[in-house]
Amino acid sequence: MNQSVIDISDLSKYYGKNRGIERVNLVVNEGEIFGFIGPNGAGKSTTIRILLNLIFPTRGTAKIMGMDVIKQSKQIKQLVGYIPSDANAYASMKVQEFLSYCLRFHKAKEDIPRMNDLASRFELDLKRKVSELSMGNRKKVSIIQSLLHRPKLLILDEPTTGLDPLMQSRFFELLTSENKQGMTVFFSSHILNEVQMLCKQVAIIKEGKIIQQENIDTLRKKQLKKVHIVFENQSAAESFTIRGLEQILNRMDRQLSFMFSGNINQLVQHLSGMEISNLIIEEPSLEEIFMHFYQ
Amino acid sequence: MNLNLLFKELQRNALSFTLWTLVISVLVSLTMSFFPTFLQNQSKVMGMMTVIPKEALQFKGISNFSDMLSPLGFYSVNNIIYMMVLGSIFSVVIASNIILKEEYNKTAEYLMVRPITRGEIFMSKLAVVIFFIFLLNLVTALIGYSTIKLVHSGPFNSKSFVVLSAYTFLLNTLFGAAGLFISTLVKRPKPITTLGIGMVLFFYFIYTLSKITESATQIGYLSPFKFVRLDAGSPEYKLEPWHLLYFLGISIILLTISYRIYRRKDIYT
Repeated sequence: MNQSVIDISDLSKYYGKNRGIERVNLVVNEGEIFGFIGPNGAGKSTTIRILLNLIFPTRGTAKIMGMDVIKQSKQIKQLVGYIPSDANAYASMKVQEFLSYCLRFHKAKEDIPRMNDLASRFELDLKRKVSELSMGNRKKVSIIQSLLHRPKLLILDEPTTGLDPLMQSRFFELLTSENKQGMTVFFSSHILNEVQMLCKQVAIIKEGKIIQQENIDTLRKKQLKKVHIVFENQSAAESFTIRGLEQILNRMDRQLSFMFSGNINQLVQHLSGMEISNLIIEEPSLEEIFMHFYQ
Repeated sequence: MNLNLLFKELQRNALSFTLWTLVISVLVSLTMSFFPTFLQNQSKVMGMMTVIPKEALQFKGISNFSDMLSPLGFYSVNNIIYMMVLGSIFSVVIASNIILKEEYNKTAEYLMVRPITRGEIFMSKLAVVIFFIFLLNLVTALIGYSTIKLVHSGPFNSKSFVVLSAYTFLLNTLFGAAGLFISTLVKRPKPITTLGIGMVLFFYFIYTLSKITESATQIGYLSPFKFVRLDAGSPEYKLEPWHLLYFLGISIILLTISYRIYRRKDIYT
């Protein structure tokens, strides 16, 4: 059985009367690339900030590698890397100076070959001053600082903002490679394609609550199908209904597209008594599943 | 305490410290260089002083004109503006920004995810604040001392000079502690430099108001400036134990509360 790396139990955070997150329960196992998805304001960053002890929970507990995120924060941070969604490195420093500064906190020896390897992978000039860097290059600095000390857990909060597609692809390659060497990844994003591409497990957060935590393939297969039907006549398309019809995506002339969560055999049986000219049943994309949960 | 953070903070604040020290030192030296001219023209100056209202002189810190005829008296009258007010502004500015700037510059998310406790961050930054306040006081006092020696060849009470310098350091430290305290209360990060400067000027204003208005004497006790003895020319001049207790007590209380708040504070960037 896999050991849990992140274990969140009944975690809530309120900002005065405003809800941050409510009764969040979440388990991330060792070696996973775990997707944490939700729209802006859903509570992704709040959860991450509690894990990193930047903010304190109103109630509940969170553990990383069995250690309490408040009481054993220092020990945890020795083992964790973090890419914030929006943070600045010290503008007056050169990139290499900043990276060495970060590394010294971990009491790690300056690993120049690794620093150079990561910098060349992302085509980043270590001798430039942070203040001279573009947003994309600052993100590269952020990626490198998170990996230099070889963390066991990497927490990412919208990590690809500002990166061009080529760099995104290199970043994903790097994540996959580090994951193969044992690093667990907690990947928070609202860009579903990248979560779909990388993650095996996913949790969806909505209005501060986890509404689904599932294996990404199971989530797709088990629950929802995307159905397109072209009827022989328009009235059939207009009046069509069936148990399990979740959400109509498109209804135009003789065509009908919808999300379906019912029994597929019953759907086929139901349609067998109707005049149709085409039927397509397919797996919805993660984005469509996501949108379904957010309707 | 974390040495990595400590050295980086020393480096980061060195320029600001140098500029402040330079400005205060130049002002102190320039003012003291007028002392011989002041002595030579004391009868003319005395005549001028009689025209100026007593309250206006007291506002400037001159309660007795004859005090200014000694080098230490002349130094202490000017010292209150340059070293006490400007030094306190430096202290409050450096202290109020040293933690808060990590938040409003959005660097806190890089610092606070390192294996370092909040207590270590606080203590390292506090050490830098105290070090710079001490160094500013040491350098400006040495420059003040040298300038007095340059412009005045007669006898001069070094012990009183040291006591006056100790008062300045204690006052600056108290404002440093107040700056740190205010910065830990800020919920949404933004620079509070103006607030800090305003606080020093407000307390200085209260102090001067209490000196020039008889009915407002008591209000002066709200200001830390009230607890600084400026009569350095007086033979009984010394560091009052209860003044020492006041400065150390308030500073320690403010720092302890700040430390406790910072350890439980939600950090936003």
